[in-house]
Amino acid sequence: MRSNGAVVGTLTAMVVGLLLALRVSADVAVVDDSGTRISLKSSATRIISLAPNLTEILFFIGAGDQIVGAVEYSDFPAAARKLPMIGAHNRFDVERILSLKPDLIVGWLSGNPQDGLQVLKQLGFPVFISEPSTVNDIVSLMERLGTLTGHQSEAVQQASNFRASIDASRETYSKRRPVRVFYQVWEQPIYTLNGDHVISHLIDLCGGRNIFSDLEQLAPVVSLESVLARDPEVIVGGGIFGQKPPWAERWESWPTVRAVENKHIYAIESDHIARMGPRLSEGIEALCLVIDKARDNS
Amino acid sequence: MLIFQTGRDSRRFGWVILFLTALVPVSLAISVSLGSIPIDWGAVVETIRTGKSSVDHTIVFELRLPRSASAFVVGASLALAGVLMQALLRNPLADPYVLGTSGGAAVFALIVMLSGLAYQFVSLAAALGAVVSLALVIFLSRDSGGWSSTRLLLTGIVMASGWGALISFFLSISQQNQIQGMLFWLMGDFRDRGPGLVHYLTLLVVLIASIFASRGLNLLVAGTLKAESLGVHTLRLRFAMLIGAGLLTAVAVTLAGAIGFVGLVVPHIMRLIVGPDHRRLIPAALMMGGSLLVITEMLARTVLAPRQLPVGVITAFVGVPLFLYLLRRGSRQEMP
Repeated sequence: MRSNGAVVGTLTAMVVGLLLALRVSADVAVVDDSGTRISLKSSATRIISLAPNLTEILFFIGAGDQIVGAVEYSDFPAAARKLPMIGAHNRFDVERILSLKPDLIVGWLSGNPQDGLQVLKQLGFPVFISEPSTVNDIVSLMERLGTLTGHQSEAVQQASNFRASIDASRETYSKRRPVRVFYQVWEQPIYTLNGDHVISHLIDLCGGRNIFSDLEQLAPVVSLESVLARDPEVIVGGGIFGQKPPWAERWESWPTVRAVENKHIYAIESDHIARMGPRLSEGIEALCLVIDKARDNS
Repeated sequence: MLIFQTGRDSRRFGWVILFLTALVPVSLAISVSLGSIPIDWGAVVETIRTGKSSVDHTIVFELRLPRSASAFVVGASLALAGVLMQALLRNPLADPYVLGTSGGAAVFALIVMLSGLAYQFVSLAAALGAVVSLALVIFLSRDSGGWSSTRLLLTGIVMASGWGALISFFLSISQQNQIQGMLFWLMGDFRDRGPGLVHYLTLLVVLIASIFASRGLNLLVAGTLKAESLGVHTLRLRFAMLIGAGLLTAVAVTLAGAIGFVGLVVPHIMRLIVGPDHRRLIPAALMMGGSLLVITEMLARTVLAPRQLPVGVITAFVGVPLFLYLLRRGSRQEMP
């Protein structure tokens, strides 16, 4: 009896000890968006960012000075422009990445070349692959990157602020009268987005209705006639917020469209709305504002 | 058409071959030494001796060397395929892709990309596409007498146009994020993996076969009838050349997507220098094509570093003025 108790006691101690040891040694571990478990011995201090939105997120959660290299167009915040450039998101310079001796690489599944990511993994670097497609995804991404970079509490706080700001927009606008919205991604040919795209969800959040939400393709090319037929009340596209966009002129030839008749053609900063990062909340504010303007003419 | 082999000619050829034989390792050495990061060779040697890892060693042996080896194999394959195509079709405008092989490879590769299959299958699909395209051309252009150059060329051009239309179609229906990958492949670029045994073997086998067939190739250029009368089995020879060129093109597109100009321009350059005798032209074109692409690949990743340019773009920048210059100068020995 006594020997059994001793055995059980020793085993328990061993298991507890093992668990404690495991917890200490796998100090920093998260699962990335491709299902891979990324575990680091300690917080990452030399980070390579392979997408502009990831650079923005890293700065947002307080890990900006831990970035040692970023891809082209990592232009926000201003400090990001001073980071060593390592190529483009779809064609980056592996040699330069190697020479910067990173301890964490943050990549983007649909934007980075699969080959490139594979090579980096084969060279032994921890590669965190992201693919955020909703606001919740961005929040989760912020929190997980916070864990990897030693800014967990700050990241959780910032992510929570981010979500609150978006919720505030939803509160204000989503119950208002629905407005038919045409979101123009590109002018020639006319690219728009279907209902599965995150921007379409944001239009819903603002109380708008994407006139092309029923289409199959995520970013389809549509004809001019189909836009005329669906008669949007507001046309939104990329440009400088507050200024008349250069592509507006083309629409002015079609006054049968309600948006043209009532002069509801607006630009919002595409970097805000198209980058899955912290400035999405600003993008949403702008989007909801312009959609709301079209509500005045009921 | 007679081919002179004067003593002076042979000596000159000797120098040229010596130069090219030296050019190959030199170009590889340059390519491995230059890049966006200066290499500390002391650290490389240290790693080789002691096994302690260093960034410099990794860059040289795991990044630059495989890419340079791929560049050589692709350049050599395309140059040799170009020589074969120009002899087969008796047309100076022929290049490895003229029969639609790169188009077929591209279409199969794009299908794999669109379907979302693992990217490893893209290379395989490209090789399959090249072979299928070749088979189609062979099948469609055959008539009772075999394959005349004209029929081959016309069938090939039409196939190439057809593939081109399919490529445009796929690009137009694909998603934004897929297009990136597709354009990357279509512009031609090297991955960081090196060539495999199958690539080396294919090049070697076709090279040896081509050299053995050199006499036949020389006579073929004078015309099928003439060659037949001089004892060449033209049907067999031309079929073999077609297969050989097709396989080489498949190797090239598997390793590097569609890289243009090398297959067209290098045979012409070497024909100006060593003459049209295929016994000389084949090894010369192979070595020159390989070295040229090794240097071009190095330039693509160094010239605007850290911006990386697609290799296919650099070969065009180099190939277009070079080819125009050659055209203006005129060849010393015309192709019939």
